[in-house]
Amino acid sequence: MKKSILLLLVLAATLYACSSGSTDPDGAGNGPGGNEVRFDRSAMLANWADNIILPSYNAFLSSHANLSAAMQTFRANPTLENLVGLRESWRASYKSWQRVDLFEIGPAEEVGLRLQVNTYPADVALIESHVAGGSYDLDLPSNRDSKGFPALDYLLNGLGADDAEILQKFMDEPAYAAYAADLIDDIGARVSGVVSVWNNGYRDSFVAADGATATASVDRYVNDFIFYYERFLRAGKLGIPLGVFTGTPAPETLESYYLEGLANELFLEGLDAVRDFFNGRHFGSTTQGESLASYLRALNTVKGGEALDARINAQFNAARTLVSGLGSFQSEILMNNPPIDMLQAYDEVQAAVPLLKVDMVSAMSISIDFVDADGD
Amino acid sequence: MSRFIYLLFAAAFLFCSCTSDDNNPGVGENIIVPVTYSFERNGVSTVDFSGQTTRLLMGEELGDALKDPARTLGELRAMYGHQAGNADFGNADLNASDKNLKSKTAASADYYTANAAEQAEVRADFENWIEAQVTEVYPNWNNLATPGQAGQLADGTSTRYVDARGLEMDQLVLKGMLGAVMTDQALNNYLSEQVLDAGSNRADQEAGVPEAGKSYATMEHKWDEAYGYVYGLNADPANPNQDLGADEFLNKYVGRVESDPDFSGIAEDLFQAFKLGRAALVGGDYELRDEQAELIREKISEIIGIRAVYYLIAAKTELEKPEPSFGTVFHDLSEAYGFIYSLQFTRKPDAAAPYFSRAEVGMFLDDLMDDGPNGLWDVEPLTLEELAGSIASRFEFTVSQAGS
Repeated sequence: MKKSILLLLVLAATLYACSSGSTDPDGAGNGPGGNEVRFDRSAMLANWADNIILPSYNAFLSSHANLSAAMQTFRANPTLENLVGLRESWRASYKSWQRVDLFEIGPAEEVGLRLQVNTYPADVALIESHVAGGSYDLDLPSNRDSKGFPALDYLLNGLGADDAEILQKFMDEPAYAAYAADLIDDIGARVSGVVSVWNNGYRDSFVAADGATATASVDRYVNDFIFYYERFLRAGKLGIPLGVFTGTPAPETLESYYLEGLANELFLEGLDAVRDFFNGRHFGSTTQGESLASYLRALNTVKGGEALDARINAQFNAARTLVSGLGSFQSEILMNNPPIDMLQAYDEVQAAVPLLKVDMVSAMSISIDFVDADGD
Repeated sequence: MSRFIYLLFAAAFLFCSCTSDDNNPGVGENIIVPVTYSFERNGVSTVDFSGQTTRLLMGEELGDALKDPARTLGELRAMYGHQAGNADFGNADLNASDKNLKSKTAASADYYTANAAEQAEVRADFENWIEAQVTEVYPNWNNLATPGQAGQLADGTSTRYVDARGLEMDQLVLKGMLGAVMTDQALNNYLSEQVLDAGSNRADQEAGVPEAGKSYATMEHKWDEAYGYVYGLNADPANPNQDLGADEFLNKYVGRVESDPDFSGIAEDLFQAFKLGRAALVGGDYELRDEQAELIREKISEIIGIRAVYYLIAAKTELEKPEPSFGTVFHDLSEAYGFIYSLQFTRKPDAAAPYFSRAEVGMFLDDLMDDGPNGLWDVEPLTLEELAGSIASRFEFTVSQAGS
């Protein structure tokens, strides 16, 4: 008897919750105190698109224009100074790439931009065969590890033991510079294509899909964002080179393997991009708009007595502090067995995953659509 | 989780409890528990743990290879960290496999996902033991061991090969693996709620959606993989208690503990928990499933604790004889070392933590080895007794129950 009354109450409450949900077109969740929480998902999407994603792409295209110009300068006048200038432009553009790498959604997802631009480690034998043969199709999926920033890393930093040797290679074999120029053009064409789709309709449909279903922009992008953090920032830049999954360190799988120390900078830039996105920070500015962090504050989400958004920020900062204290990733992995300091830094990076993938998404009622496969 | 979803769960739960009210308490009417560990969907078996069987076989071969002084360090390392296609094993199926032991060493979702530093330390322990076997023990294979000098010792009719401190490296590897691979994977990975319930596993299980090209849904397969780490080499894995001892790892020690009258029945309890948990999972009763997972964790952890104490007390008894056989003492203590080491992979009921942390295990092992400059050659009976007492104190059994 008691049980059926309780059941009736629960069912009634369920119906009530259903109907109150339907008056909430923005799809915001409800606060734990029982008060209706209003959060404007649409404003968050607009902030993401207009103040973060598109400005990041535009900044990348501008860094890429500098890279193209430096390439032209070097080809016209292959001097040591111009080689160094080319490398610096490449380095700046590679760092700028870390600010857009996390936005693999919509047109970027459609063309698989991340793997087109930044598949590493590069396949040196394949690069050499393209250079020697002079004929290659950069649209082929099988050529993704012979192009992009990692292939340029090999060409600009790995062709010889020092700059003089590298320069000599470029002078002896003009095909190297021609190939490098093609790779730079390939990057530019692909990213420009994505930006153009954003500017011609995708931005509006992205912002308009402001509901709370699995196909809505927030649900989809939060999945992509966490996927990036877990697979590309955590595993790709740290875990795989450290051998976390195999037990065997693999320093040759580091991002920018041929320029020692750059992998650290690229990781930190990627982490900063994640943190700034989480906080809705406008690109290149300290202004903050609606974001995952402000969404969590609106939901009044608390974890262990602390606001979840503060907890997540603290975890990003803890990770940043440990990674910043490391020597070059190459030296950490090669000089230490096991590389405990870098592994501890990895653990701090990992510690944000459950906060995002469990606590944050459950507060927002977002389902995670990917799982780890362990291969048994 | 939003209130809406929470209420749906609450409502669903109440429906369940209403419908099962008239039946046996605990097991709902849609839960069918078979006599043996056999589960089918549409007439096809959904049970598969070939990956576990493969790793058990790799462990067995590595154990044998460690006792062959003709082996090189490179060969042994390659067996531990096998890469698909390399001819590291005598068994061609193992050579073709893309599985290995190293990647599953200290690799559970619950304990090591956010603990890569400790994971690397555990893996380094195994590498170091393998290396010591080749660089220290093999060169002294045909010397008599003396304090501070690696070599061989008689243990009854057997011959034991020890390092300068009296430890058998092959025992450390095998018994350590029993913990770091089999126990950690089963208890802290495959029986973990975060693994069983990952992604859409519940919905797929309930709808009977199989993995691509497989007969099983993901959740039931995870459970079977835990099962496979305990029973993967039994002649009839659906009815495994007929030939316990089918492998050198957990299976052997389920059998050993079962044969101690103080613990008789533990093998059946463990098997029933696996079976009931699997049936509960298929029937959608996740609470019952997780209760069985807790039971399995408790039993397997207990087996490791019991064997650690058993070997400590066996060694103490021998050591207290007027003319102790050091070969016997050292063999027992090498087993004990491995089981104590494995305590860090055990799992306390209702907690995501082992009975003893890695730091505590490290202190136990230091105590075992530091009664004098030559390790086990100098160990005092009192040390062994105290270690046994400390270990038993956190379990439900006593030293005298385990030590007989």
